[in-house]
Amino acid sequence: MTIFSLYIFDRHCDCIYYQDWNRTRPLRAPSTTNFKPGVHRLAPAQPSQTAGTRESIFSSGFSSGGIGTGITKAGNAMGSGAGASQRGLPFDEEAKLVYGVVLSLRNMVKKLSGRDEPLTSYSTPHYKLHLYETLTGYRFVLLSDPSSDSLRFVLRQLYTGAFLEYVVRNPLIDMDSRTEGIDNDQFRSAVDRHMKSLSVFS
Amino acid sequence: MSSGSKQYKAIGDDVWKRTDKVNAELFTLTYGALVVQLIKDYEDYGEVNKQLEKMGYNMGTRLIEDFLARTGLQRCSSFAETAEVISKVAFKTFLNITPTLSFPPASAQPSNPSLPQPSEFILTLDDNPLAEFADLPRDAKEGGLWFSNVLCGVIRGALEMVS
Repeated sequence: MTIFSLYIFDRHCDCIYYQDWNRTRPLRAPSTTNFKPGVHRLAPAQPSQTAGTRESIFSSGFSSGGIGTGITKAGNAMGSGAGASQRGLPFDEEAKLVYGVVLSLRNMVKKLSGRDEPLTSYSTPHYKLHLYETLTGYRFVLLSDPSSDSLRFVLRQLYTGAFLEYVVRNPLIDMDSRTEGIDNDQFRSAVDRHMKSLSVFS
Repeated sequence: MSSGSKQYKAIGDDVWKRTDKVNAELFTLTYGALVVQLIKDYEDYGEVNKQLEKMGYNMGTRLIEDFLARTGLQRCSSFAETAEVISKVAFKTFLNITPTLSFPPASAQPSNPSLPQPSEFILTLDDNPLAEFADLPRDAKEGGLWFSNVLCGVIRGALEMVS
């Protein structure tokens, strides 16, 4: 059982925060033209750089065989001998895929039931996606091991705890910004602590 | 309606008990000093009203997150319910007051006579914690200063985020 990654999206559908733990699929930093500060801490993309030189907390659990934590459809992007720096999806594309799948599934769920019903999670053989939506349009997405129970309560705890304390009550964070994420050291370490304290983590 | 409003009252009381408090006098005097400073800076009551509203709006956009996290309420199904929640839960949580809620008579809304629910409501602050020690000079009253206009901004900002 483990937790792979966390995404937070805002009301403008932009990814404003990303953090990962035991990812098994490599991820590249986005190209400089699509770079949005304050979202993730992936080392900036450089032409000669290999994917293995990412910051230490993200480089754990690398395996070339890779159980996919990302979207399975994108699997052909890797392993085609394009060189180590080309492995994995760029971050911005992966975030778009995650948001897209959440949004379209949510709309289908609503249409099928005819009521305003929330999508809570779905799972594949390789991962499980948990979704928590706030009324203000923030969407918290967590990818975890498929065998884990519902982790929606964890996302709610993140919202009422770390998010409120270090983002909403932080005057230095522009909450409705389209150009910047909400990353800050305290929030990142609080999220990290919270996740590592969970029994499903490990 | 009455059972719903009782339920909201209970939620409001409950959240208020668990809220961290600040000294009411410090809060009131700070707000008063803020308004005075704005008047000095802008020298125009209309502009002061506008600034207070803007400050409130910025507070409201963040306060709504705090409110939702604490109460865990779901989306309101009707406008009347929204009014109830603002009066009985929101004002209770943050200011420990419960403004009187009233709906203007239906004839006052010629624009939407067919609407089954009210499309506007009035919150009357029976006691206003912001104005506890405030005594407006005559020229401020006549000049059209809206002393507690920050509250309007907070409501607008908060509701806009959940619209």
